[in-house]
Amino acid sequence: MNAVLTRIRARAWKGQPPDGRLSLAAAVIAFVTAMPVAYVAWRSAFAGGERWIRLLDERVPGLVWSTISLSIAVTGVAVALGVALAWLVHRTDLPGRRIWRWALVLPLAIPPYVGAITYIVVFGPRGWVGDWLDAPPPLNIYSFAGALFVLAVFTYPYVFLVVGAALSRMGRAHEEAARSLGLGLLGVLRHITLPMLRPAIGAGAVLVILYVLSDFGAVATLRYTTFTSAIYYQMGGFDTLSATVLSVVLIALTLIVLAVEAHGHRRSRYDSSGPARPADLVELGGWRWAALGFVVTVLAISVLLPVGVLVYWSAIGIAEGALDARFWGYAFNTAQVAGTAALVSMAAALPVVYLRSRHPSPASTVLGRLAYAGYALPGVIVALGLIFFGIRYLPWLYNTAWMIALAYVVRFLPQAMQSTASSLALVSPRTDEAARIAGLSQLGVLARVITPLVRPGLLAGGALVFVSSVKELPATLLLRPAGFDTLAVRVWVEASESVYHLAAPAALVIVALSVLPLKWLLDRY
Amino acid sequence: MSRIRTRLLTAAVLAGLLAASMIAGCSDADTASTTGPVPSEAGEPGGPLVIYSSRNENFVEPLLEKFTADTGIEVSVLHAGDAVVNKLKEEAGNVQADIIIANDVGALEYLRLEGLLAGLGAVEGIDSIDADYRAADDSWVALSARTRVLMYNKDLITEAELPSRIEDLADPAYEGMFAITRGGNSSMIGHVSALRNEWGDEGTEKWIAAVKDNAGAIMEGHGDIRRAVGAGEFAFGLVNNYYYHQQLAEPTDNNVGVIYPDQGPGDMGAVINGAGVGVIAGGPNPEAAVAFLEWVLLPENQREFSWASLEVPINPDIEVIPDARPIGDYTVHDMPLRELGTVWEDTRTLIERAGLDLELK
Repeated sequence: MNAVLTRIRARAWKGQPPDGRLSLAAAVIAFVTAMPVAYVAWRSAFAGGERWIRLLDERVPGLVWSTISLSIAVTGVAVALGVALAWLVHRTDLPGRRIWRWALVLPLAIPPYVGAITYIVVFGPRGWVGDWLDAPPPLNIYSFAGALFVLAVFTYPYVFLVVGAALSRMGRAHEEAARSLGLGLLGVLRHITLPMLRPAIGAGAVLVILYVLSDFGAVATLRYTTFTSAIYYQMGGFDTLSATVLSVVLIALTLIVLAVEAHGHRRSRYDSSGPARPADLVELGGWRWAALGFVVTVLAISVLLPVGVLVYWSAIGIAEGALDARFWGYAFNTAQVAGTAALVSMAAALPVVYLRSRHPSPASTVLGRLAYAGYALPGVIVALGLIFFGIRYLPWLYNTAWMIALAYVVRFLPQAMQSTASSLALVSPRTDEAARIAGLSQLGVLARVITPLVRPGLLAGGALVFVSSVKELPATLLLRPAGFDTLAVRVWVEASESVYHLAAPAALVIVALSVLPLKWLLDRY
Repeated sequence: MSRIRTRLLTAAVLAGLLAASMIAGCSDADTASTTGPVPSEAGEPGGPLVIYSSRNENFVEPLLEKFTADTGIEVSVLHAGDAVVNKLKEEAGNVQADIIIANDVGALEYLRLEGLLAGLGAVEGIDSIDADYRAADDSWVALSARTRVLMYNKDLITEAELPSRIEDLADPAYEGMFAITRGGNSSMIGHVSALRNEWGDEGTEKWIAAVKDNAGAIMEGHGDIRRAVGAGEFAFGLVNNYYYHQQLAEPTDNNVGVIYPDQGPGDMGAVINGAGVGVIAGGPNPEAAVAFLEWVLLPENQREFSWASLEVPINPDIEVIPDARPIGDYTVHDMPLRELGTVWEDTRTLIERAGLDLELK
């Protein structure tokens, strides 16, 4: 028996098993991150055939339609916006393009639920536009069109970033060859540039689709029912088992998107041959000002107006004393759980990333993948799994603030992993070998040599986790113990009662914090 | 390294996780059935009183601040809307809360039937509430009532033109003129339960099917309806009476009136629902729970409980807010409120079957 285990272990680690404590730590981390989602799937088995059939019959088709139609529509609009803006900023003589390059990423700092609230203030049935027109506003914000508008406006930067990065890396040889063979500007765009961008567009589109599938705050605020909001409200009914059934269907949808993405990744690849000289800029001529108008309009809709609404209501709120002791209490709670999550994520990322880098093997790959389970799947499902699991097996943790921090770690650990991995990639394995020869154990190497060297990546990862945690809504709503609200929860609660002067200051703090990691994102692409 | 092998390994590990949780789940079920509910370690006796509330937090916070000021007992409260019912169910084996403040008597009785509330026997002051408005074992007590009324915009319609009976909402003469809430709204569920009690399932289902098409809009909540009627988007709407009082207090759009339906001879009477307080079985701080129940039953606090939400006190001896009609002043449907709890799930199913969506799509 022992011999068999040894052999399995040797094969899983490709003959080079790491320090036992290290692999145990990585295994525990992977288990904790994958457990909540696995547990939801397991619980759904107890829903009973009748409930499954009833839901698959009555509820699921409508939800699949509402969710998928919204995902596709948002992705279409976000891709059109993102590609057009990236091309204008990277390939034309658009005035002020250096500024637009980072300004157009700013919408990522506004969580879509905050964006949705600001657009209810503007376009809601009794919002600014309706008041001004003295008639119902032209866009019913509580509708498919409203959800499409809000989600597209706050997710196009994903496409803009990825496509912009591809454009600036893409050599100009193909385009120049095509031009010299007599193709006009549009011909080059259609036959050369866009086809070469297809992988980047696909990658950006997948980010948008995954976001829409997992978004809870914006659709719930806009009262558009997708799987996530249906699951959340099922928790409000008296029927949690139905929530697990809907979760399993949503997990399946997400896995399909991920599978399609992995498939596409392998198939389409263009080598950018030639020197990476910057391409010649297209001269827009008379179109310059039209293009500038377009960019400014997008920026006004996606940044200036929402932030303006928040500043307006914050000013009113602060004048009425919104920044009271309760507010600072919420801010402290937020910092406490997000800070804990950031620290734990940094500590947890290290062993998993180190094993993947230094012991590439089936075992380390599997552990790495499992650590992504909570990241790829919607927060509502993570929260559901933690509730079920926590009540039964972690009663001492359940209904404490630590539970929220744990949910953040499960959801955002991969952000710390990615950034630590990119730092670790710069450290040669020879460094490890030298330290081992000098007499350090493997754990010693990790603690005393690697950790100081990857500190920049580790800290950046911690900051990313912190900011994501500050924004997080669904898991916080479902897991918060009595008497423990965070800023994000207050934004949600006050806005649902239309008390905007209390919602806005908290939302503004969240937005301001979220600007910080954008610099890291921009450096990366 | 081959991709397929990695995938297989991932699948195997996931399966292992499932198996592990299954084993853990089974052993847990065994222990639960033999030892019963495990006392909580989270809430220490003498620690804060833990309250879950499904009411609007602005109604509840001032009341709880007064409680702490009066008694010195600290309170930790979770405002989570209707989700608290489910949370209490999930936490049955690891009870966290001592008290539930519920917007609905139906939810309280439902929890009692699930065995999650504890009867307390003789609590001082509980006799001030009529037995019709308490649990059979006194594990919950209703304190404030709201009546299902029609509020209307006086610029658009006169009292004489309004339907005098709820049944008439199905009349094509009122097509497009009024708003109702979605089917899953707890006051709507309570109302439909009363109609089932009066008309039977078939008649109620027909009525819902007709009303959902006849209504000019189906809205998320009653707050939307009162604002829409106040703004003149609809001539009238089916709401709880305090929404009328709220609109009346608005600086603008406040030219609204109200009628209490079904008051004629032989009519069913207006349908009411109540909000109240329940005691959680096995809560961590039972002494504080009793202290809270006795405190909230004091006349001044019963008044505070109703007035915060502009509802009407169940106890007829308590003063009523200005402009509201005290209970007993009009005919009330005779179904005991506690019956709401037994038919809750069935009513939801019936509403959905009749084609009125529980959640807005």
